[in-house]
Amino acid sequence: MMEDIVFIGQIAIKSSVAVLLATIGEIITERGGVLNLGVEGMMIVGALAGFAAGFATGNPYLAIAAGAMAGGALSLIHAFFTIKLRSNQVLCGLALTILGLGLANFLGRPLIGEAGVRIRAFAVPYLSEIPYLGEIFFQQSPYAYGAYILGPLAWYVMFKTRAGLVLRAVGEDAAAADAAGVNVAATRTIAIWVGGLFSGLAGSYLSLSYTPGWKETMTGGQGWIAIAMVIFCTWNPLRAFWGALLFGGLTALQFFFQATSIDIIPAYVLKMLPYLLTIGVLVLVTSSGKRRRSASPADLGVPFSRES
Amino acid sequence: MTTPVISLSGISKYFGTLAANRDIHLNVHGGRIHALLGENGAGKSTLMSVLAGRYQPDDGSIALHGREMRFTSPAQALESGIGMVYQRFMLIESMTVTENLLLAAQKKIGGSNCRRLISETAEQYGLAIDPDKYVYELSMGERQRVEIVKLLLLDADVLIFDEPTAVLTPVEIDAFFTVLKKLRSADKAIIFITHKLEEVLELADDISIMRKGRVIISTEADRKQISKRQLARLMVGRDVVLRVNKEEIPPGETVLRLRNFSGADVHGTTRFENIDFEVRRGEIFAIIGVAGNGQSGLVSAIAGLTRADSGEVSFAGSTFNAREWAKAPKDDMAYVPEDRYHTGCVGSMSIAENFALTQIGKYRKGATKLALDWQKMSEDGTRAVEEFKIKAQSAQDTAQSLSGGNLQKVILSRELSRNPKLFIAEQPTQGLDISATEEIWQALLKCRERAGVLLVTGDLKEVLSLSDRIGVIFNGRLLDIIDATDSDQIGRVGLLMAGVTS
Ligand SMILES: Nc1ncnc2c1ncn2[C@@H]1O[C@H](COP(=O)(O)OP(=O)(O)O)[C@@H](O)[C@H]1O
Ligand SMILES: [Mg+2]
Repeated sequence: MMEDIVFIGQIAIKSSVAVLLATIGEIITERGGVLNLGVEGMMIVGALAGFAAGFATGNPYLAIAAGAMAGGALSLIHAFFTIKLRSNQVLCGLALTILGLGLANFLGRPLIGEAGVRIRAFAVPYLSEIPYLGEIFFQQSPYAYGAYILGPLAWYVMFKTRAGLVLRAVGEDAAAADAAGVNVAATRTIAIWVGGLFSGLAGSYLSLSYTPGWKETMTGGQGWIAIAMVIFCTWNPLRAFWGALLFGGLTALQFFFQATSIDIIPAYVLKMLPYLLTIGVLVLVTSSGKRRRSASPADLGVPFSRES
Repeated sequence: MTTPVISLSGISKYFGTLAANRDIHLNVHGGRIHALLGENGAGKSTLMSVLAGRYQPDDGSIALHGREMRFTSPAQALESGIGMVYQRFMLIESMTVTENLLLAAQKKIGGSNCRRLISETAEQYGLAIDPDKYVYELSMGERQRVEIVKLLLLDADVLIFDEPTAVLTPVEIDAFFTVLKKLRSADKAIIFITHKLEEVLELADDISIMRKGRVIISTEADRKQISKRQLARLMVGRDVVLRVNKEEIPPGETVLRLRNFSGADVHGTTRFENIDFEVRRGEIFAIIGVAGNGQSGLVSAIAGLTRADSGEVSFAGSTFNAREWAKAPKDDMAYVPEDRYHTGCVGSMSIAENFALTQIGKYRKGATKLALDWQKMSEDGTRAVEEFKIKAQSAQDTAQSLSGGNLQKVILSRELSRNPKLFIAEQPTQGLDISATEEIWQALLKCRERAGVLLVTGDLKEVLSLSDRIGVIFNGRLLDIIDATDSDQIGRVGLLMAGVTS
């Protein structure tokens, strides 16, 4: 029994890392007032770039950096169109996803079936020896440890520092932030770029660590889950852990049921659950007027221009 | 006089082909209050936004203490000591006062002594604020104080106020004037945009008047020589009657009666509780109160947009409880909402279409009544445009292309043409200039001859000019109902608005 739970726990963490990283990134972007629906596209490009760099150089650090940078680079397209040209953020984000998927599919063809760098799980000394919990949380990929740190770090920066104050101000009321002397365009560009780095990083986790190798379908909609998770955790990077764990947990249950051929809940229902839960939370969050204030950034999706 | 702190020369600013500012020259001096006067759309806000770095001028230059400057952002202007309190306050509502101040003035007040600096600055000018409150909890007067403290923390020595008194209660206005005088004694240069003449005469040391994008006169205020009448004429370009001619009309039957009417506000937190009043045909019953005291919820419940929780409504002879009322037919009731751009019209539709919107039944045609009589719609629209002197090229112009005053005329004429028994007007002249206000007032007085008028406003002057009876709402309760002809009582309205009952 305990073994089963540890197994499910380990798989849950393993399957939630990519969604977690992408969610944190998208939270940062949306807190700055920009909706970027291109997460799926940035993830797959990050996955390909990470794999390709690892394949070419054999250096895992370069591979990780390449994955993140590729996501960041793609996000700058979004920044250019939505901030400089003030295009519709929804359409632009969708286009980014389509572009990313197409690009990765096309450029990645020669790499299908190749073996690249593999970033293995390693046990953290001492911590991994904690009974059960240590096994679940501290015998994971370094990506997971990165996420453990990046989540709280993002929260700290967002709510406790000057940079975070500026970011939130721009997302809440760009005109007011501008009048207070904040550079709205620069802040938003950085927010989009950092979100892109996170998405790219998330993608590279898939191709370097989770299921090492390259497959053009490897993101499998996790980018969309991340976007839903942002709402689920009400734009709070700490709550992103719960959202991602929930997603990971449901995935792990699928594996578990498959592995043990117990079929209490059909796999399709499990796959549906994160979305259903997101809708439920969304209803709860927006139905109460008072809480709504603190939930969604007020200027989310609204382009900023002084003269209009 | 000494060299001016600010000297604008030849400033022009275009929005597309529209010249909002044309070749403007203006000098502003330290230790003086400079009133910038002009009708809506005269270009006052645009000019000041140019000075504050928000807009880039298309021509002309700005000199600060005789040195030419170029500001490409509000941040740069602030750095040079020029700060502006915008008509729409530039505060982030979901953040606290301290966070808002830190956002603007981190370099000056960052670190551990930030609270002390905030409270010191605030006290020095009599600007009491609670640094831990969220901005959405603050009244408009308090928000304004936060804005002023923000500029003072940034060491601004030119302070620009865009229609600062529009959202304040009479008591808050007095407090604000005291602050302005203190700022003046501290040798700050103050620019004060308004279209209220009394304020200019009370405060200003210098007066500039703008009309159609130009400064037509810039002079020292000599209180003995300038009269309100002269100012008004300069501003509008013709003589204006500031008093309305109100005929005596004996009140007729009651059209609306509320009993114990209670419910929630639409966005704010103030509920309205146990409201009792009646409106009779032939009278204008005014509800006056500072924004956020429950009146918006009350009006939307009366108009049936939202549902009240309890109480009773009698309308045109029938009585309903609060629940039934929301669904009851209201064909005999006309409503001019506060938000004319969103609730009052569909911006992207034409004037004619908007005109037909609330009486669409009239324009059905064909056997199935599914088709619309576009011909008739356009004729009626055109007639309204002519009759109400709406400034538009044709009835096919979109509603959003109209200025506030003209749009309000479209909405008002539409509602009047339905021949209602009860006419509800919510903030009907907010933000309108003298001539548009005058026309709207005349229309309301005319409407009173056939219907009962419920006027909901925060403008004391409007209430005193128009209404027969005045109900003052504060904190969700109707504190008192005062007869407008009772000259002993009428002075209390301003106090009641601030919640002072004794
Ligand atoms: N951002 C803008 N875009 C286009 N037109 C504008 C804009 N701001 C103001 N205008 C126009 O410029 C003119 C002057 O406006 P404004 O400066 O706001 O006048 P005031 O403050 O004196 O009422 C008006 O005709 C207005 O419609
Ligand atoms: Mg203005």
